[in-house]
Amino acid sequence: MADRFDLAILGSGSTAFAAAIKATDLGAHVAMVERRTLGGTCANRGCLPSKNLIEAARIVHDAAHPRYPGLTPARIDVDFPWLIAQKDDVVRDYRAKKYASVADALAGFELVEGDARFTDAHALTVGGRAIEADRFLIATGSRPAIPPIPGLDAIPYLTSDLLDADEAGRLTELPVSLTVLGGGYVAVELAQLFARLGSRVTVLARSGLLSGYEPALGETLGGVFRDEGIEVLTGARVERVAGAEGAVSVAVELVGAGRIVRSEHLLVATGRRPNTDDLVLDRAGVELDADGFVPVDVRLRTRVSHIWAAGDVIGRQHGSQMATPVGARQGRIVAENALADAGRVFDGTVIPRAIFTDPPIAVVGRTEAEVRASHQPAAAATTPLQYVPRAGAIHKTTGFVKLIASTIDERVLGVHMIGESAPEVIHEAAMAMRYRAALPDLVDLIHVYPTMAEALKIGAQAFSRDVTKLSCCAE
Amino acid sequence: MQGVIVVQPIVYIDLGVGGMTCDDCVRKVTDTLESVPGVNRASVDLEGRSAVVEASPEVGPEALTDAVRAARPYNAFVRRVRTSRDG
Ligand SMILES: Cc1cc2nc3c(=O)[nH]c(=O)nc-3n(C[C@H](O)[C@H](O)[C@H](O)COP(=O)(O)OP(=O)(O)OC[C@H]3O[C@@H](n4cnc5c(N)ncnc54)[C@H](O)[C@@H]3O)c2cc1C
Repeated sequence: MADRFDLAILGSGSTAFAAAIKATDLGAHVAMVERRTLGGTCANRGCLPSKNLIEAARIVHDAAHPRYPGLTPARIDVDFPWLIAQKDDVVRDYRAKKYASVADALAGFELVEGDARFTDAHALTVGGRAIEADRFLIATGSRPAIPPIPGLDAIPYLTSDLLDADEAGRLTELPVSLTVLGGGYVAVELAQLFARLGSRVTVLARSGLLSGYEPALGETLGGVFRDEGIEVLTGARVERVAGAEGAVSVAVELVGAGRIVRSEHLLVATGRRPNTDDLVLDRAGVELDADGFVPVDVRLRTRVSHIWAAGDVIGRQHGSQMATPVGARQGRIVAENALADAGRVFDGTVIPRAIFTDPPIAVVGRTEAEVRASHQPAAAATTPLQYVPRAGAIHKTTGFVKLIASTIDERVLGVHMIGESAPEVIHEAAMAMRYRAALPDLVDLIHVYPTMAEALKIGAQAFSRDVTKLSCCAE
Repeated sequence: MQGVIVVQPIVYIDLGVGGMTCDDCVRKVTDTLESVPGVNRASVDLEGRSAVVEASPEVGPEALTDAVRAARPYNAFVRRVRTSRDG
């Protein structure tokens, strides 16, 4: 016998959970289907384990490099298997509290384990069981993209799935040496993490680090990486890879030269691709775009009116970003649109985003290049963090904040920061953009002294005065 | 003129209902549904988070869901429309 639900959700990540919570609240009987671990990428092999380990690596690094004259470097020994075990405990605990017990408490909710495939527009099959529903949400997320590099299929390699607590791809021994393919945010976070824990790391990036972001962010980070002993090869075209367990070699072509990079492990971090290959979506009448993402309208509906998609699986449509809180917001919107005819539109104009390197990076709004391409009259000002009192006080002056503002009404169009506390500071910038604040508003707000958030006040003043001559509190 | 017995055709509309936490809510949602013109009777189920509405066929299901949604913080959506009690 088939089971019939008001809403069937494919996937159990942050997107799926936000949808399930809202949908059950709205009165729906909900089925959620998951083929891997409950909680999806973020909780199991993304945000949570990476941020856990990155902080541990920072402690190790700071002890060895205490920044302050008068503090003697100290060496903290890394017991990697133990460190991984505590990470696994944190992940399991979080999964139990934020996913499993939340799911248990939902009324009219069933979790179905297995691989979901469409059999027609109103039915899935999951391990032989038929699941019928009036509405569907595709929230199947994404996985590491594997580039077609000759030799790659014949050698062992790691992906960010190494962060997982339970799966086969997990890593429990610290690599002696690691070659990281890719220059995106996952690549740079993991490269610095392993380098700080003691691996010898080489990063091979096709263009620069963090392409697509304000170029100076990746350049500044590249400088920090070099200072920390991470080798960064940009403009690197990987020709082939070879090797065996514990010894891989990567042949790269660099501008004007070739080189073989050897290491114990290879980490492929060249982007993400959507999990849509196995869904048999054509049986439901939904077509994918050329990269496998599910096309949706601004209300997150596919061309088939009772099938919706949200989260990583829609890629960057309508200003979306592949990030946990973005998917969660979209999941909620889908529940409201599908079950309460709310007609809500996804708005991607103000989405703050952070990269948890050290110094960390945070951005909101558009880059200067994006603003220029739209022919909007705008100006940009970059302020090095040495002019922010707190940065000087705590010996953390590496970095800058760059503001882009309209020259017509001085409204803030984008903020890009690398430096201490950037992921916290960016929320003030995001709120400013949300309420269409202008540069004088950032200047006029009294900021706590001395904080990194003063970077915004000072960065806004940089449009009209010489910030090298400010006294305390930037008045 | 002879007396005629008018047999009103009836439809049964199954709704999913969200936002109810106690019997008070059940009463409110029942009253809301029964105040929609053309509705004869509504039976609302707290546990099952659902309602069955008996109404004349002219009653559009959206009139029911709109009324429940307007009675904040409740939500309703249509599961199906039947022409007999158990069909
Ligand atoms: C290393 C790393 C670090 C990250 N750090 C951050 C960060 O700091 N902050 C941030 O905001 N974002 C971060 N992200 C991104 C974030 O993890 C994703 O954007 C987010 O998890 C997407 O959520 P989702 O629910 O859309 O998809 P997912 O979390 O990927 O969930 C989709 C689920 O669907 C399941 N599934 C797929 N196909 C099927 C099928 N056919 N049947 C049944 N189940 C299926 C999958 O197994 C998966 O569990 C990071 C990602 C990585 C890889």
